[in-house]
Amino acid sequence: MPDTTVVDAPVIDLVHPLPGFPDQRRFRLLRLDDEGTLCALRSLSDPELRFLVVPPAPFYPDYAPVIDDATVSDLAIASAEEVQLLLILTPGDTLADTTANLRAPVVLNTTTRRAAQVILEDADLSVSTPLLG
Amino acid sequence: MLVLSRRIGESVVIGDNVTVTILDVRGDVVRVGIDAPRSVAVNRAELLAELESSNRAAASASEQTVSALAEQLRQRRD
Repeated sequence: MPDTTVVDAPVIDLVHPLPGFPDQRRFRLLRLDDEGTLCALRSLSDPELRFLVVPPAPFYPDYAPVIDDATVSDLAIASAEEVQLLLILTPGDTLADTTANLRAPVVLNTTTRRAAQVILEDADLSVSTPLLG
Repeated sequence: MLVLSRRIGESVVIGDNVTVTILDVRGDVVRVGIDAPRSVAVNRAELLAELESSNRAAASASEQTVSALAEQLRQRRD
């Protein structure tokens, strides 16, 4: 049973910056609701910069990407249990207009709090998949 | 930009540990093999551009948008 909620982790370090944001390495992961479904990654150096993220399970129960060896090594992942996937949302005015990036999830090691946005090989996955299918 | 002509099977070495080999040429499609250490990210340029664009569009939603989405998620669960 995959985790459906996010644990409130204080500060995470991106081992590679997010494409498009080369100078932002440290973010705080904040829960925006009681369930820990909707969360935000807020930059420590630029508080105006915030990404909405969600764990995949409540929206895409079958989503189970294979994480490559380089990422496992970069994030010092020792077991699957310490991995939390986060999907970056592109918010629309409503949930129906909101999309999630399934092609490049943020992979977080909840133990070391290191993270990276990983580009998956699967070309069927889109950077803008409707959140509600 | 450095421009080199290579035949199928020939390679170009970049730095100490990146080797790019031309594997096949058919029409306007060239297949290249890339040997690089794991620390060197290799990505299709257009995919990286798409990801940058997607990340920029995702960044910094207004408070209003965030509260609206949070509320809709709550209603969806109830």
